[in-house]
Amino acid sequence: MRSVYSDPELAELQNRVLHHAREFGRQIPEIRFFILDRLEFASLLEKDVYPTSPINIWEGKRMVHKKHAIETGLESALYYEVVQTGNPSYAYLNDSNNAVSQASVMAHVVGHCEFSERNVLGDSSPDRTEFVMYLVKRVDRARRQMGERAYLEYWNAAESATVLIAPNSQYDLERSTETESIFRGETSSTTDEMDRPEAPKPLLPVFDTMTTLLRGTVGSTSFEGELRKKRRDETMSRRGYILKSPCQDVLDFLRHYAPTSRAEHAILDYKYITKAPQDFVARTQIMNEGWAMYWEKKIMHALFEERAVKGIIDYARVFSNVCSPRPYFQRNPYHLGYNLWCHIEQLYRDGKVSLEYHEEVDRDKKNRWREDSDVEPVEALGHLVDTVTDYEFLRRFLTPELVHELHLNRVDRQTAERLGIKDGDIVEQDKRYVWLNPEPIKDEMLGFYTHFYRPRIYVIDSDYQDGCLLLYHRDDGHALRKDWIRPTLRNLNMIWKAPVALLTKDQLFAVMGNQYKSEEVKPVSFEQIIERMQKGERPFRGS
Amino acid sequence: MSDVKISSDESEGIFNEFIQEQLDEIVDDIINRGDLDRFDDRGSDIIIEMDDIQPPTFIYGDNEGGRGSGGQGPGNEKGKLRFRVPFQAFMELLGQRLRLPNLVKEGDGRIKEFSYSFKTFGQVGVILDKRRTFKRALRSSIGTGVYNPAKGQLDVHVRRRDRRFKLPQREEKPRYKAVCFYMGDISYSTYGERLEMEKRLVNFIHQWLDFNYGAGNVEHRFFVHDMEAHEVSPSDFYKVSNAGGTRASVVFDLVSQIAFNEYETKSTNFYAFYFGDGEVFEDDAKKIIEILQTEMKASFNRVGIVEVKPSQFSYLNREIKREFEKDDIIRMGTLRQRTETIEVIKSLFGERRA
Repeated sequence: MRSVYSDPELAELQNRVLHHAREFGRQIPEIRFFILDRLEFASLLEKDVYPTSPINIWEGKRMVHKKHAIETGLESALYYEVVQTGNPSYAYLNDSNNAVSQASVMAHVVGHCEFSERNVLGDSSPDRTEFVMYLVKRVDRARRQMGERAYLEYWNAAESATVLIAPNSQYDLERSTETESIFRGETSSTTDEMDRPEAPKPLLPVFDTMTTLLRGTVGSTSFEGELRKKRRDETMSRRGYILKSPCQDVLDFLRHYAPTSRAEHAILDYKYITKAPQDFVARTQIMNEGWAMYWEKKIMHALFEERAVKGIIDYARVFSNVCSPRPYFQRNPYHLGYNLWCHIEQLYRDGKVSLEYHEEVDRDKKNRWREDSDVEPVEALGHLVDTVTDYEFLRRFLTPELVHELHLNRVDRQTAERLGIKDGDIVEQDKRYVWLNPEPIKDEMLGFYTHFYRPRIYVIDSDYQDGCLLLYHRDDGHALRKDWIRPTLRNLNMIWKAPVALLTKDQLFAVMGNQYKSEEVKPVSFEQIIERMQKGERPFRGS
Repeated sequence: MSDVKISSDESEGIFNEFIQEQLDEIVDDIINRGDLDRFDDRGSDIIIEMDDIQPPTFIYGDNEGGRGSGGQGPGNEKGKLRFRVPFQAFMELLGQRLRLPNLVKEGDGRIKEFSYSFKTFGQVGVILDKRRTFKRALRSSIGTGVYNPAKGQLDVHVRRRDRRFKLPQREEKPRYKAVCFYMGDISYSTYGERLEMEKRLVNFIHQWLDFNYGAGNVEHRFFVHDMEAHEVSPSDFYKVSNAGGTRASVVFDLVSQIAFNEYETKSTNFYAFYFGDGEVFEDDAKKIIEILQTEMKASFNRVGIVEVKPSQFSYLNREIKREFEKDDIIRMGTLRQRTETIEVIKSLFGERRA
């Protein structure tokens, strides 16, 4: 790995790219470019785009496969763009690329860095790469402390939890738990109440009959509220947190509340910090890649204009390949994102993002609509970057007309036959392709953002049957792979150091020490679980 | 940070160690069960197949049974992990595990193999070493100030004296020659399990000699006998059969004659292996012992007599044992069942205990 400054030509290109980015008003953090050879590139990708990583068998396995694939020509070693966003951001160039490719990668990276910096999910963080390199050192120290065998066992166990990360879910750790500090903060903040003279408390003897009688007169809320508070105080003093709603960010929950040694904690920290940005990528990929393509093209045009690089035809060919349409179920974020940004820009230019346009009922007038707007289109696009993610982006701007125009509903005949697409769903066809009805496609695309084609697993109880961690699989019509449940629970058990159970549909699987059991139980819906947790009740009471 | 070399070498090392452990287990399996079926293509890489390793997690999937493991071991997927082990490396490993000594090679390299290596470099030659030349040119260009990036001077002058050429160096290696005679009794019922057992053993001997001498340096010849002995092709060795009387000494005699008449005994390493049910006449056994004693023992590196699925009438090894029980050259083996294959290999090729 060498700095871009070791290559005067690339250093100059970098200066020109950054110059134009600033000229276009891009809000970019410091970007550091490095040049890698092809094997370094492959290795970097296996390290989640950080220059170092702790020793682990999985990276080794993938790298052995990748090397073999590269050597036998099964896989190309050319990667388009690789960047670790943050401030500073680290972008990597492949030393076998030509000058136009390097320039386009640099221009593309500018878009990603700005997007990460500005987007509402707040992906960018200061010194992210440096922090991860520090974490790698901590994990290396942990390895020495734990011994090779224990380290590998724990690392493998943590590997099972790395897909159970959801930092941007509405059921993230912060919203799902109430910690001691927050709890104290709440009580201390009610100083007004404390200043007020205390009202005489009703006498509440705890007898079942009396309780029933009092419920109607004194008010059930105060009595039950007292009980709940008492239970909550006890839990808080015992565990330091209360689970007030399901927590989808399972690994974050484990790294905060599982009993771990410092060495084990270092491993969980590393796994979480390096994997968490993938959630941001999944939620913003279309906007993000589209934004990068949009600015890449603008910057490249400026570079071609001033003759800083040559080869506009080659560039056009690469660009059109990258942005070629694919059916909606094989999402090409470059194509969809880029075209949507261009479409939105045009909408703003024509003044179509306005109440008047939406309320206009005359179709001809609407089709001819051209009105000057006070809104600067590029600023409006920036505002979208600041405020929305892919779900809202598609919900607001993707229309059936656009689905058809961008060929998101176009499927080649062979695939259509394989998928068993019926004639009734086809609106247009030619020799090679069929076009599907665009109406339901938007909803199907939006459906992706509810589950990301992954099982939704939540922590719903951390004290189920005396210290057992109870996980819940939210039913979305698909069953979990059964033979992997046991080893996964065993791995989570190693982290939680107490029994771990999984509730999926009408089955409860549990690992307790060396024992594994599964039993049929009465299914509980996700809504029931939330309701019970809000009431301070146990979300699942057992069979 | 620019001096950091990005690599996954250590992680690859961990994975390779894991594969090595798996390979050891496979070799143990071969040793414990006598499973030598992996030697199908002679001399080619050994394809090892094992369950793929994956970290188990909660994923969508079917509910078919399968194996999974947690904690220390990774979970398994239905997919397979395939990798090639070079023939030499695999045989080396097998030799180590079975504690088989390398075969003694005779002929002290009168026949040589020649090759050329390019380990030295000079100022004149045909093949230009670009890397070395550029390095020297860059060094002298920096020294003379031609190359100075700070001033924007990026030229590198390659002068004649900077040029370095690869020089060929002649290397000589002794080439040993070996011939192996496989002798089979076609009068006994060589089919089914008996045939499979014999094939497996012949296959291993073939591989082991190829490994020790180099695949191109060993000639393998096949002979069968009933009352008479004939040379046959390797495929016919397992096919021809005849129900009737048998005289094993004729094949020993034929092999002995071929060895002395067709080969230079001083420079050739001779091996002979006999496979049969051991049911021979008394005078036949005596004749074989005589041939072994007077002709073969002196010039053969190893002669092995293997009784495959012997019966109560098997007689050959009993007789030979009387004469050659602790002999280093003449070895005997009895193959009653498949799991004894490894024991027979050890008795044919292992160190002779005093």
